[in-house]
Order: sequence, then structure tokens, then C-alpha cells
Amino acid sequence: MDANLLSSYIFAVVVLNVLLGLMAYMTYFERKVMAAMQDRVGPNRTGPVGLLQPIADGIKLLTKEDIIPKHADRRIFLLAPLLSFVLAPVAAAVIPFGDSINVFGHEVNLYVADINVAALYFLAIGSMGVYGIILGGYASANRYSLLGGLRSAAQVISYEIILGLSLIGVFILSGSLSLVEIVSQQSETLNLGPLQLPNWFILSQPLAFVIFLIAAVAETNRAPFDLPEAETELIGGFHTEYSGFRFSFFFLAEYISMIIISLFAATIFLGGTDGPIRDGVWWLAIKAAIFLFFYIWLRTTVPRFRYDQLMGLAWKVLLPLVLINILLTGFIRLWGLGML
Amino acid sequence: MAAEVLVFNLLSAVAIVAAAAMITMRNPIHSAIALVVTFVNVAAIFVMLRAEFLAAVQIIVYTGAVLVLILFVLMLVNQDDLPEFHGAKPLQQVFGFGLGIVLLIEIGAAILTRTVVAEPGPWDEQGIAQAGGHIQSIGQVLYSGYVLPIQATAFVLLLATIGALFLGRPDEDEEPTPTRRPVATISLAHTRGADDAPLPQLQAANVKHEAGDRDLIMARDADEFTSIPGEDDEQKERSE
Repeated sequence: MDANLLSSYIFAVVVLNVLLGLMAYMTYFERKVMAAMQDRVGPNRTGPVGLLQPIADGIKLLTKEDIIPKHADRRIFLLAPLLSFVLAPVAAAVIPFGDSINVFGHEVNLYVADINVAALYFLAIGSMGVYGIILGGYASANRYSLLGGLRSAAQVISYEIILGLSLIGVFILSGSLSLVEIVSQQSETLNLGPLQLPNWFILSQPLAFVIFLIAAVAETNRAPFDLPEAETELIGGFHTEYSGFRFSFFFLAEYISMIIISLFAATIFLGGTDGPIRDGVWWLAIKAAIFLFFYIWLRTTVPRFRYDQLMGLAWKVLLPLVLINILLTGFIRLWGLGML
Repeated sequence: MAAEVLVFNLLSAVAIVAAAAMITMRNPIHSAIALVVTFVNVAAIFVMLRAEFLAAVQIIVYTGAVLVLILFVLMLVNQDDLPEFHGAKPLQQVFGFGLGIVLLIEIGAAILTRTVVAEPGPWDEQGIAQAGGHIQSIGQVLYSGYVLPIQATAFVLLLATIGALFLGRPDEDEEPTPTRRPVATISLAHTRGADDAPLPQLQAANVKHEAGDRDLIMARDADEFTSIPGEDDEQKERSE
């Protein structure tokens, strides 16, 4: 077998396992940060400072009874959480975690795949991910679940458009859809007179960055856009009827999506592994951690949107803004190339 | 090479089985899922043909479309009517069968009269490398030679959007919404001690014009706006 292909496979396994481990401790991080913001202590009983809490939670969820409602569409009910869970980490395959390193005399690239449509691939996987939610909501034979699923579908379709369009400005500037290429362009230096700045796209595309951030929160169904599972209205939304490890699959998928979209945002807008000193994967980790903290911060401070407000925001505010951004970026790019 | 042929056969077999399942499934949701499986397998075949852009677009466009299809099924087709939804009428069966035969003949004719391998297009590996990649060359072709068809398609989609907006706009003749009607707040608060004998001036002034847009209607007694079924009869009996 091709040595490059083999190292890709091995790296994929490593990324997958790191992601799953990170996901467990993401719940711990979230509970601790929320506790601090709400003047509580948070988990502190299992292990030193509660560090074993995620493992205890995992064991508890795995050993719970797996209940299937009598009138549920059985096959789809069983399939839906698996679909969510399998598709969530797949998108990580295109995120570059750094330059190639030398392991036992082999050049190993720190990404699973550098495909020339990486960003589109990311969006495609995202659009597949909603199927787990809507099918789970439909198959439960429960009106609250169905409402949660329908809301999720409408929400994801609307915000996916915003998410995709907000990236177009970056594509116009970089001239590429490959994340490896986009990162390598961002490691250059931007000279603004006396100022020397990194060529991160957050500086040239600030509006797109803000819109991307809003759409990303909606795309991952997180507060304040967590209408598919609004507890006060829909009990638990699409996962009302799920229990045990099937529930934990939905839960895992949500957190993995959060981590991956944070990594993606850090890669596209904040230069990925590029940093002031010693470029490397740690910079990517720090940037992603900032986004994850921002997610939790939002959850603790902003109340949930009403449904019509959510749709109005997408179609009446964000869509025109993002179209204006594309138009402006296009003109400025042409002007920069001297074609205008 | 052999592995590639094997994967291709597997993908096409799954795509064909899923396409058949899409037609034969009794539940429209199951049909829609089978359709998604077909599309994803076709996208995988595109990837094998090194058409990654087409594969990504196939998944984004078609999975989104099927999602909307599922929504239509959930919202428009009553779940209890589903067996009837499939109840075939003889005329429909004959018509469908005839159309199927026509389609098969067309496909067969297309395959028999031409070779399956089409003529190579004007783009070869060198030209693509010169343009900077597959996406760049697709962009060049689309926005130079095919500008008019693209603009026409965009115009049709725009018309569809405007049509949807027009159909979905609120009706002008509709009853005014409750906010436009005079609104009053009923207050159940009443002057203490007035229960036994309501004061005449209170009765006269039981509608207060507030500074805001709402009038305040004061209750004459604690039970003026509440009634418990059957209680009136009891009271009548008692008074008699």
C-alpha cells in the first residue's frame, strides 16, 4: 500500500480518537465555565476537582436502558442517532493541523486529506448531519419530537445558506477552496504602512467572520439558537424519546460538531496553525478553545430566540449583509488586481 | 486497479438497490431516505472519477432538496392516509407502466446507437493545470461561454422566489389582527368592602381610560367575570 495513504489512515484514527476524548472533556469544560459564570461550583465529586465526571457520565449513559417507543418507526428510530454520530467527526478530515512532520524517516502530513474542494466538503457533511435530527424527530412518533425535527430542518436550511455565503469572501481573496492553501496564504505577513499584521482573513473579512460565527451557532443548534430542543417549549425536542446510549450519540454529535466548527473557523479566519511564535497545532488549539468558550459564554448569557426572530434574522438581516459583503469583496479584489 | 473496479461495482450496486427501494417502499419517508442513499453513492462515484466539485455539489444540492421533500411528506401527507397514497388505480398503473417502457427504450437506444464512452471534451489535464485546477476551469467555462444560460437560470430562480413571496404575503382583506381592535384590560380588583353593596359611583366609572392604549375595566365585584357552571342555579335556589 502507498505509504502516504497509510499515514493518512493512521492520522485519521488519531484525529478521531483525540476528538472523542476532547468531546468528553468539552462537557466538563462547559459545566465548569457555566458554574463559574453562575456562581456555582460545578462538578467536583468524581475524582480530583471532578475530572472523572465525563467518564462517569459516559458509563452511566451506556448502562441505561435503551427504550424504543411502541409506535416508533423502529428502523429509522435506531438509525437516526448513528447517522448523527457517524457524520459529525467526518468533517474533521479536511482540517490541516500543521505542516508535515518527520516520523521514523517518513514525511507525515498533519491532515487526513487535502482535497481541492475542502470547504465545500465541509458544508456538504454539515448538510447531511441534519438528517439525524429530522429523522429522529419523525421516527419517535411524538409531536414534540416532530416539531423539534421540523424546526431543525428549517433552521439548518436557512443558516447553511448564510454559512456558505459568508465563506465566499474568503474564497474570493484566497482564490482556493483548499484549507491547506487557505492556511498557507494566511501565514504571510500583511504590511499596512508601519504596521505588520498577520494576513488572517478576520482582518480582511470582519463582516463575514461575524456572520459566520452567528450562522455556526445556529448550524450546531446551540443556545441561543437551540430551538430544536427548546426545553421550555418542546420538552427535549427531537431527542425527547431517546434514552441511554442513543441519546448520548446525539449528545456526542452536538459537541463534536461544536469542536469541529470551531477548528474550521480558526482555520479559515484566524490563520489556523499560524501564530506569533513557533507555528504549530497548539495555536490552532488555543484559537478553537476561544471559540468553544464563546459558545458557552453565549449559552449562559443570551436568552433563547423566538422562532420567527430566528428566521427573520437569517433572511432579513444576515442574507442581505452577506450578499453586500460578497459584492464589496469582489469589487475590491478586481480593483486590487487592476482589472477595474 | 482491481480494488477500484470492486469499489465502483459496490457503489453502483448500492445505488441501484436504493433506487429500487425508493420506488417500492410503502412509507414515503423510507423512500426519501433511499433516495438520499442513491445520491450519496452517485456522489462517491463522482469522487472516484476525480470530479470532487461535482460530488460536493451533488451532496449539498440534492440532500438539501430531499430534506425539503421529507418536510413536504411530513406536513402534507397525513400519516393515516399512507396506504391509500400507494393504492394504485388501474389507469395510473397502465400509464406508469407505459411511461417506464418508453424510458427503457430511450435509454437502450441511447446506449446502442452511441458508444458508452463519450467523446473527450476540449479540456485535458494540461488545460486544467494551466487554469489552476478543476474548480478554476469550471468557473472559467461557466462564466465565459455559459454566462447567458447561468443568468437565465438565476432569473428563473429569482422569479420562483418572488412568486413564493407573493403567494405567502398576508391577505389585505383579512380581518384586522387583534392588536388593531380596541383592547381593554379587565381588572378583578375591586374596592374593599364594596362586595355587599356595590357603590353606584364605582359602577358608573367602572371603565377607566388609561394613559396608554388600553382601557381598564374594573370589576364590580369579585365574581363579575368569573362563572362556575352550575353555580348560578344553586344561588338562585338559595335566594328563592
